[in-house]
Amino acid sequence: MKKLSKKTVVIVGGGLAAGLVSRQLTAQGIDVLVLERGVDHREGAEAQLPSQRDELRWDVRQGLIQNWARETYTARHSSAETAVPMRWIEAFLPGEGIGGAGNHWNGHTWRWGEHEPRLRSYYLERYGKDAVPAHMPLQDWGVNYAEMEPYHELFEKLFGLSGRAGNIAGLRQPGGNPFEAPRRSEYPQKPLEATEAGLIFEAAATKMGYHPFPIPAANSSGAYTNPDGQKLGACQYCGHCERFICEAQAKASPQQLLYPMLRQRKGFEIRTDAHVLGVDYDRRTQRATGVRYLDLKTGLSYEQPAEVVVLAAFTMSNTKLLLTGGIGQPYDPATRKGVVGKNFCYQVNGGVDIFMKDRVFNPFMATGCTGIAIDDFNNDNFDHRGLGFLGGSIIAANQFGGRPIKSRRVPPGTPAWGTAWKKANADWYNHAMSLSILGSCYPDHDNYLSLDPQHTDAFGQPLVRMTFDFRRNEQRMADYTGHKMLDIAQAIGGDALGPLNVQVSPFDARRYQSTHITGGTVMGADPHTSVVSPHLQHWDAQNLFVVGASVYDHNSSYNPTGPLAALALRLGDDLLRYVKSPGRL
Amino acid sequence: MPHLSHACEPARRGFFKQLALASSALPLVAGSTLGLASPAQAAPTAEAMLPDPWLAYQSFSAGEAAFVEALVNIMCPADAYTPAGVDCGLAVYIDRQLAGSFGQGDRRYRQGPFDPGKPQFGWQFPLTPEQFFKAGVAAANAELKRRGKAALDQLPTPDADAFLHELAAGQVQVDGLDLGVWFNELVYPLFTEACFSDPIYGGNNGKVFWKLIGYPGLPATHALDIVQFRGKPYPGGSKPMSIADFS
Repeated sequence: MKKLSKKTVVIVGGGLAAGLVSRQLTAQGIDVLVLERGVDHREGAEAQLPSQRDELRWDVRQGLIQNWARETYTARHSSAETAVPMRWIEAFLPGEGIGGAGNHWNGHTWRWGEHEPRLRSYYLERYGKDAVPAHMPLQDWGVNYAEMEPYHELFEKLFGLSGRAGNIAGLRQPGGNPFEAPRRSEYPQKPLEATEAGLIFEAAATKMGYHPFPIPAANSSGAYTNPDGQKLGACQYCGHCERFICEAQAKASPQQLLYPMLRQRKGFEIRTDAHVLGVDYDRRTQRATGVRYLDLKTGLSYEQPAEVVVLAAFTMSNTKLLLTGGIGQPYDPATRKGVVGKNFCYQVNGGVDIFMKDRVFNPFMATGCTGIAIDDFNNDNFDHRGLGFLGGSIIAANQFGGRPIKSRRVPPGTPAWGTAWKKANADWYNHAMSLSILGSCYPDHDNYLSLDPQHTDAFGQPLVRMTFDFRRNEQRMADYTGHKMLDIAQAIGGDALGPLNVQVSPFDARRYQSTHITGGTVMGADPHTSVVSPHLQHWDAQNLFVVGASVYDHNSSYNPTGPLAALALRLGDDLLRYVKSPGRL
Repeated sequence: MPHLSHACEPARRGFFKQLALASSALPLVAGSTLGLASPAQAAPTAEAMLPDPWLAYQSFSAGEAAFVEALVNIMCPADAYTPAGVDCGLAVYIDRQLAGSFGQGDRRYRQGPFDPGKPQFGWQFPLTPEQFFKAGVAAANAELKRRGKAALDQLPTPDADAFLHELAAGQVQVDGLDLGVWFNELVYPLFTEACFSDPIYGGNNGKVFWKLIGYPGLPATHALDIVQFRGKPYPGGSKPMSIADFS
């Protein structure tokens, strides 16, 4: 294996987190090498008209998604079962290529609840010492919202978010989300246009005393130039956001706003088709000495020494690299000791369809973020005493694109084929909307990641094994918030309602739910219960850092991008300090 | 019940059997003389105006082709909404998908070892989707034979339709092959893709299914439309444009 010349900072995974860390470091002249297993998509069919508008190729056949033939995951619902490989995954969709999952994301960009980084402490203070069940290892992150706020602010300006503030420095703002964490300023751009479905939901929710607001979006409501001079075009509402690359450069994405700029900077390098095989760890000195990777274009493997190694890959890969590298104690659900792989969480999802023959929705005019939401039943915005669960859901009317293979709604009782099926599609495609819940998922002692003892990937390495199901807390939460959603749907009325779909257990890999899987390399102030420190520094290797949703101790109802980006920018600044003066941060 | 009177016209099936047996090098074109329009039909279809995009099947044997043609004509009968499934390109779509990277399991994890798993984690056997599809066709016909009935393409349409509903309900297993999984997780998704994907893949011929629902297709630059047509019908829905229209 050829040994290459040493780099100051080597980052595994060329997605959003790596792009933001690199932005901070290269601005101060620190050299950075990013290793990305995929390609640069910008010149491909996926990023150009007309081939970009191909639901079959990019959505149904997952053209931008991790190649499961090369690497998938095994799954089981509890540690009492034997896991089998998920040979094709619909449930969640890791990306490949420069930009990572930031290429094919919807664009929903939330700051999480102000109390979420100290969620355990918050619940104990609010509901008493028995508030958190024994099987739920909720824990504080060791960082607070106020420390992250400036980085949220920076990220939102870099990505030109479209939205409407609800809480500027503690002052309620009309039309915004009254439950949001305090912001220092308004969103950089006005909200996206609302759809007919959004307006119908907004009217019903307002009438019921709730507080609807436009979902904060990275889909650009206008032409925008960010503080780095990088530009976004105005969104065309083409209905091809999630699972697609935006060919109009209107969906803020790392491959649009970060990597082209970084490539102009001295000291930045990104190598594509570079699949990282492992982190080299010197147990004696407790240091990562570098990484090994396979160049997929040549079949040659390289050893890449580094002063600092940052893991910024997808949740699963960050955890896998620590487990295969023997770095940190793997989590054991029997003893509840060990840390690597623990607190693996997902996200709760449910919905209901509403059929209204006299309303026209044009479902194909949409973005990944055209939605109106309420947070009245989210987080701890409602009293949980006596409810038997913690957490909550966003309730929203989203319209994502009406793409015809997968986004047709027909009333209950419609046959699955034949003339009556065609008639129902003709009658209702343009006359149906839906409401959805997107809910939190808190950790459980038996939800964790480990290495599969039996199955391997194309490189001969163990697959990551996912032991997961939605447990009682999540099922109860889905039932409760789902029925609140149903109340709104019934208030909207219409000619027919679809069934209330809030059954979240058993976890089903055959159905898309959300790409937001979190945990496995969690952060915290206690080395006995966390993998990395509040500064994302590995407890057992001071020059190894981990960033991404894998550091979350729980998952929120809010999508993970906001805090992920804030933590990545903060890590970039922390690494400036570390490189100048290595040591515990 | 669906209107099924034109679902499985024998002349049509016979033609496709000949087609499947013919050399794939021959540029066979289905002629209008084989059209399905009949005086009994309630409403005229646009079939006569549709081009025939196929040359020959890439994956199906003659028997498999007969099965799939019968299936798509049952699931998509000629009616006031669309021509019959074969004429909409649905069989050609399925054939091409199975012959191509999807059917060959290109992005599926196919390494062993293989053990049974819960249904929520997907099928756990080494067959490619193409092989599974064909095993299911054979198993379905074997089940019909066991019941003393003809192959699917020889059955009266109501009987064939009822049999497909039985498969969809997960009630039929043949030698351990679960025809419910086969139908619901492989056949039915291929059917809906065939109807609603871009016509470049062989189905949705003439964009008939996009016209059916009013999906306008490309270029989908709706920045002004989303305001102008909020809550109102969008005229582009009746004249959809596809990838080929911009290529």
